[in-house]
Amino acid sequence: MITNAALSLAVLALAFAATLVGRLIARRGRPHMRPLRAYDTLPALAADAVESRNKIHFSLGSSALGDTSTITALTSAEVIYRLSERLAISYQTPLVTLSSMMTLPLAQDTLRRAYEYRQNMEYYRSSAAFWYPQGPRSLAFAAGVGSLAADADVTSSLLLGRFGYELALIGESALRHDQDIIVHSDLVEGQAIAYAQANETLLGEELYVGPAYLRGSALEWGGVFALDVLRWMVIFGILLAAVQAAV
Amino acid sequence: MRRHRLTHFLATIIVISSGIVMLIGLSVKPGTMPADLASFTLEVVSVTAAIAVLLGLLNLLTVHLNRFIKAEHGWPYSIITLFTAIFVLVLRMLDHVDVWPDDMAGEQVSPHLFEAVQVSLESALAALLVFFLVYAAYRLMRREVTPWHILFTMAVVIVLLGWIPLENTEALADLREWLVQVPVSAGARGLLIGVGLGTVTVGVRVLIGQDRSFWG
Repeated sequence: MITNAALSLAVLALAFAATLVGRLIARRGRPHMRPLRAYDTLPALAADAVESRNKIHFSLGSSALGDTSTITALTSAEVIYRLSERLAISYQTPLVTLSSMMTLPLAQDTLRRAYEYRQNMEYYRSSAAFWYPQGPRSLAFAAGVGSLAADADVTSSLLLGRFGYELALIGESALRHDQDIIVHSDLVEGQAIAYAQANETLLGEELYVGPAYLRGSALEWGGVFALDVLRWMVIFGILLAAVQAAV
Repeated sequence: MRRHRLTHFLATIIVISSGIVMLIGLSVKPGTMPADLASFTLEVVSVTAAIAVLLGLLNLLTVHLNRFIKAEHGWPYSIITLFTAIFVLVLRMLDHVDVWPDDMAGEQVSPHLFEAVQVSLESALAALLVFFLVYAAYRLMRREVTPWHILFTMAVVIVLLGWIPLENTEALADLREWLVQVPVSAGARGLLIGVGLGTVTVGVRVLIGQDRSFWG
């Protein structure tokens, strides 16, 4: 009988091996990845914002360090960094909103890293990261984010992380103020709302390949390869179980 | 530059060792040394979270104080926020000191305030969500009519109609039930499996210290 712990370790070992193989493949030549419209749009969105001196709003939702959404928060922060680093040449500091206090230092640090990379620290403001109470699926957070984005006159909102039903409020406010929104949520209800409201949506695992799509390193490309390997393993597993049940 | 390298190195060491401790701790039986070490790590996280609460509060106060001082757009709301934050803070302290008169002895006023204001406001906002969603479905169709958009709108209509408690609409209710149980459930599982797999692949990068998002 395979225990959960053994299975988890086996999946991790497989992911590790596949990542290394993928990294080797990526170092030999840039592999072709399927186009994702959201990641095609993002660099252009950042370039537009710099040229027209507009603000971009990023949100990490209720994703938090120290709980089940830790990896989601880290990946979202990395995607935000890749875009902030392009925006950091402008004096218009992007806004980052979140509802978990554990993520606040991460958000501030992400912006700081971007401005430091561009050697443009004079425009960095730690207060550009806003915390709105409270916790998961907070409608108070949604109301705060909606009004902040409207007040700050942002042109685009990139919402990555954990969003539930409250996303409908943020999305509605963004649409009313003619803002483009690109959304990912690791919760199903947030994903459904995103499909209805957002200009572009990142589905399920698409967030986690973001760094690879935005000038990724060979190891990040390796991660995309590992994700494909794991995905095919799951597909075969489901098919095998279905065949076994039918026989 | 040298200081940064040291910070990166220390951050990477802490992340890798914490990750390994948690991984081993969750794989062994409770009560063993690795499991105890894992629960200690979790306790450290809880303490850090408590400190983060203070940071969050300070951030909120700073942002709104700046907004008020610079008379930025919407500054009157910032005054309300500042006043409310200080008021609730003082109220919570008074709750702990238990200074209320005899008939309120042992009472906690701040939870009542939370129930009366926060919960009712959030309930009112939640009631609006259904309208936002229906309007979003309508706007989706206006933007572009694709088979997927039609499918989405049809699903919304069926689910909403399926909830209507009228006679002779059992077929719709059954259809709604089937929709929720079969395709919606399958799709939701697909999305969640995707999120899980993505988490594993990024987790591997974090565990080997190659994820840069926490470097500082």
